[in-house]
Amino acid sequence: MADSSGWQPPRPCEAYRAEWKLCRSARHFLHHYYVHGERPACEQWRRDLASCRDWEERRSAEAQQSLCESERARVRAARKHILVWAPRQSPPPDWHLPLPQEKDE
Amino acid sequence: MAGAQYERGRGPAAGEQLQQQHVSCQVFPERVAQGNSQQGFFSSFFTSNQKCQLRLLKTLETNPYVKLLLDAMKHSGCAVNKDRHFSCEDCNGNVSGGFDASTSQIVLCQNNIHNQAHMNRVVTHELIHAFDHCRAHVDWFTNIRHLACSEVRAANLSGDCSLVNEIFRLHFGLKQHHQTCVRDRATLSILAVRNISKEVAKKAVDEVFESCFNDHEPFGRIPHNKTYARYAHRDFQNRDRYYSNI
Repeated sequence: MADSSGWQPPRPCEAYRAEWKLCRSARHFLHHYYVHGERPACEQWRRDLASCRDWEERRSAEAQQSLCESERARVRAARKHILVWAPRQSPPPDWHLPLPQEKDE
Repeated sequence: MAGAQYERGRGPAAGEQLQQQHVSCQVFPERVAQGNSQQGFFSSFFTSNQKCQLRLLKTLETNPYVKLLLDAMKHSGCAVNKDRHFSCEDCNGNVSGGFDASTSQIVLCQNNIHNQAHMNRVVTHELIHAFDHCRAHVDWFTNIRHLACSEVRAANLSGDCSLVNEIFRLHFGLKQHHQTCVRDRATLSILAVRNISKEVAKKAVDEVFESCFNDHEPFGRIPHNKTYARYAHRDFQNRDRYYSNI
């Protein structure tokens, strides 16, 4: 639920719990090792879950700040690679056009 | 034709007519001869075509990878219509499918897709190419790095390189083997549609790997199985709340 300023945790607390549980599962350990060659780090999901619950119970400003910083760090990590191609401002103009009926010879 | 999925066996011989056809005209003959209409072949290929259509329908309606990709493409202005953007056809060789950027259509090789799980993976793979085509200026036909990037992403995010699939291919490896698989399969996919040497294809993959392996859009993570894909879809549906509260 949002507070009077309209802020609420970026994800429902149940989502943080689900991510933490998934991260700590044996199956995820296997997947992560298969991809990255090291064990996964799950502590940040636990901290975020605690912050989310703290905010829900006490509307803690510290918890709010902690959650925002954590999620901004995730977004930065996801965007730090340099793109190979230029993004479009609009979809391809021919996406919805009908198929050509015949190929040109 | 860009982004053909290459399973095993040799790629086709070289041949060029229109700029965009390259070697793909040898792999997808129905795309070259007498247009794309399937009516002339329908009675001969009824059974495999019908199976392809039914499996495709089930994938589009139930598979969490595909449902997320369809939502993401709709959000980007490329709503997908099954009859317009998918085509079940017979293909040469052992290719499973491809994305035809010149017609904005995904080709599914009905003679090479034999079960529902394979259909799920092929549709996911090709929709990743379609998603890239929709959101970026991808030069499929003259920029080998662009093609390599989309192939890296498709191999990485579609489940092509899952541990189980690699074991079925008798490729045994655990620590970081996923990355080896993605590099290898991306290279093979490029070779299936471009008449270039293996070294050139491999070099293109190496140059773009760091960037494209870490580009997980629209999933936000590598979806190792359907649970991860469902979580990714949940996050995509929640994105308005997410970005307005960080």
